[in-house]
Amino acid sequence: MAGHAITAVALANCLGTDRRTVLDRAFAGEDGFAPASAFFAFPFATMLGIVPRPAAQAAQAAQDPPDPHDLMDRIPTRLAAVSLPSVRQLRPAVRAAALRWGARRVAYVFASSTGGLEQTERSLAPDPRLPLSGHGYRYTDHGIDATSAAIAQSLGIEGVCMAISTACSSSFNALASALRLIDRGLADAAVVGSADSLCRTTVFGFHSLGLTAPTATQPFARDRCGVTLAEGSAYVLIERDAAATRRDALAWVTGMGAASDAFHHTTPHPEGIGGQLCMRQAIDRAGIAPGDVDCISAHGTGTRLNDAAEALAVRRVFERAVPMTATKSLTGHTLGSAGLTALVLAVESLRRQAIPATLRAAPLDDELGVAIVDRLTPAPLRHVLVNAFGFGGTNVSVVVSQAARQS
Amino acid sequence: MTSGTAVGPVQILGAAFFSTRHACARDVLAGRERPFTAPTYGLLVGRARRFTSLVTQLHMEVCGSLSRDAANPPAIVFATCHGEIQTAERLIADFRDSQMVSSARFALSVHNTPSGMYSVATGSTAPATTVTGTNAIAAGWLEASLTALEGERAVLLSIADEPVPAVFRGPAEPAGVAAAFLVGAAPAAPAAPGAPPCTGRRVELAVTPIGPCASGALVSPLQVLAQAADAWVRPEPASVALGRIQPGAMLELRFAAEEARA
Repeated sequence: MAGHAITAVALANCLGTDRRTVLDRAFAGEDGFAPASAFFAFPFATMLGIVPRPAAQAAQAAQDPPDPHDLMDRIPTRLAAVSLPSVRQLRPAVRAAALRWGARRVAYVFASSTGGLEQTERSLAPDPRLPLSGHGYRYTDHGIDATSAAIAQSLGIEGVCMAISTACSSSFNALASALRLIDRGLADAAVVGSADSLCRTTVFGFHSLGLTAPTATQPFARDRCGVTLAEGSAYVLIERDAAATRRDALAWVTGMGAASDAFHHTTPHPEGIGGQLCMRQAIDRAGIAPGDVDCISAHGTGTRLNDAAEALAVRRVFERAVPMTATKSLTGHTLGSAGLTALVLAVESLRRQAIPATLRAAPLDDELGVAIVDRLTPAPLRHVLVNAFGFGGTNVSVVVSQAARQS
Repeated sequence: MTSGTAVGPVQILGAAFFSTRHACARDVLAGRERPFTAPTYGLLVGRARRFTSLVTQLHMEVCGSLSRDAANPPAIVFATCHGEIQTAERLIADFRDSQMVSSARFALSVHNTPSGMYSVATGSTAPATTVTGTNAIAAGWLEASLTALEGERAVLLSIADEPVPAVFRGPAEPAGVAAAFLVGAAPAAPAAPGAPPCTGRRVELAVTPIGPCASGALVSPLQVLAQAADAWVRPEPASVALGRIQPGAMLELRFAAEEARA
């Protein structure tokens, strides 16, 4: 696979709604979790990662010029509110790409697990604490692509527009689709966006499966007991390899791999078969060897079975102990946005030459046999492998490589 | 993409169609209905059949009727406009009424439930993705064709939707419908000497402009899938509008004449 340039990144999550704040807090080892009661009165205890608003967004909006395509005017839903900070962050770079390649040569591939389901919940399960916002309920606000047309218009994108939903690997499968569009000459650049807003179905559902942690998530720790669910958005601008993109590249997507577990719908294969396959494929397509990978950003949800399966898969693929971090301990599990969220943090790792901490990993589960980084760790980084796995036995891995490699 | 762009050629190596209200694709196009007929979805056995939604059953029905190469299983591209919409309604009613949800139902609520069920049922570790949204049929065809053109393996494209419950106030779909297509890369036509022949039905995707008032995005899955499945069984060239793929442009599926098959 030829490299694809990552020329802009954006994200918003429980750590903040502007990129700098999110990245600084993540690399300072902070999380943004709050008791679930801050969102809704659930009949059980858990923590959630909620995007701070509206104060932060209002402050940011006041600094922006008026936008004729303002997303919140057109789609006043939580999904749009979670997406909006990332869209604003990415807008200048996308407009530059549209000038560079032509607006019809810029594609938009969006990913989400729940889409506009939260807005539907407000209509079908009304609660005074979560009133219907704006114009009331419309079915068009429900779908995964509920915000796609408005966001594409807002960003000035006129190319292919499509949506992907494969649970917690959604954003990486969207990235794979975007790379195909570029590789087959149907686009020169692609905005890959992802967003998931917290909704009651998600929280009740993960709790019903026994997967929510009562306290903040502890990936790969001996006492780990589940996920911290979160909302967030993460966007990247991908451009084909060219002189201009080499100059602007923050990092490169050099390899991707995807595979299915073919085992169970929600339980990972105990040996992480799909994870092994996709990691090997991503490394192979990057044209490197497992020994060249300097860091692994794990899917690392904090459930007993997921972390055990991923750890075993990593041990099978790598002959040495590669430093591994689980950024869901910082951002929470942002579901369909999880892959890109970790990827943006990996790009920042390459820039800072440092691996962010896995919070609350101590005491480590020694039986897992992987090298979890539990504090901010400076390291020479050229290639970071990022994993995103999900319900349905879906597994996708991405290798992101230092920009200097291609320049 | 610009108008006139073509994607392909690819070839359809097999196809299947199912409607809960129609005996075949031709009956959809002729307006001939039948009483509700549930899929049998024989691909799933035992406990795997429990809690499966209609849309999952529909996917399994059409995928199960296509032959599979166990040695090199196809990549999986599933597409759905509405996803597990009936399951979503039940989950919301569950927590509204009882402050809890069924774990089994929640586990099968994601859009990629059918593709996951398929990979488990067939033991396939091939990559799987699920395309969704208002233009899921067009985008699904695009995704499947681009994947097939990578040349590594064939692609199983399965497209299905179940009726949207009335409480959603969404489109009134009259039937549950599904179609599956086994898609492979096709040799260039005419085939170069010594090159492998085209063993399926050659098709290509074409981007065509639509006017600002055209409803290219809001296609009826029942009609579009019936048209595509019917074109597959008929020998003459055909063109099926798959829906909007980008602002101002839609995607067409163009079938070459039957003579293109070797």
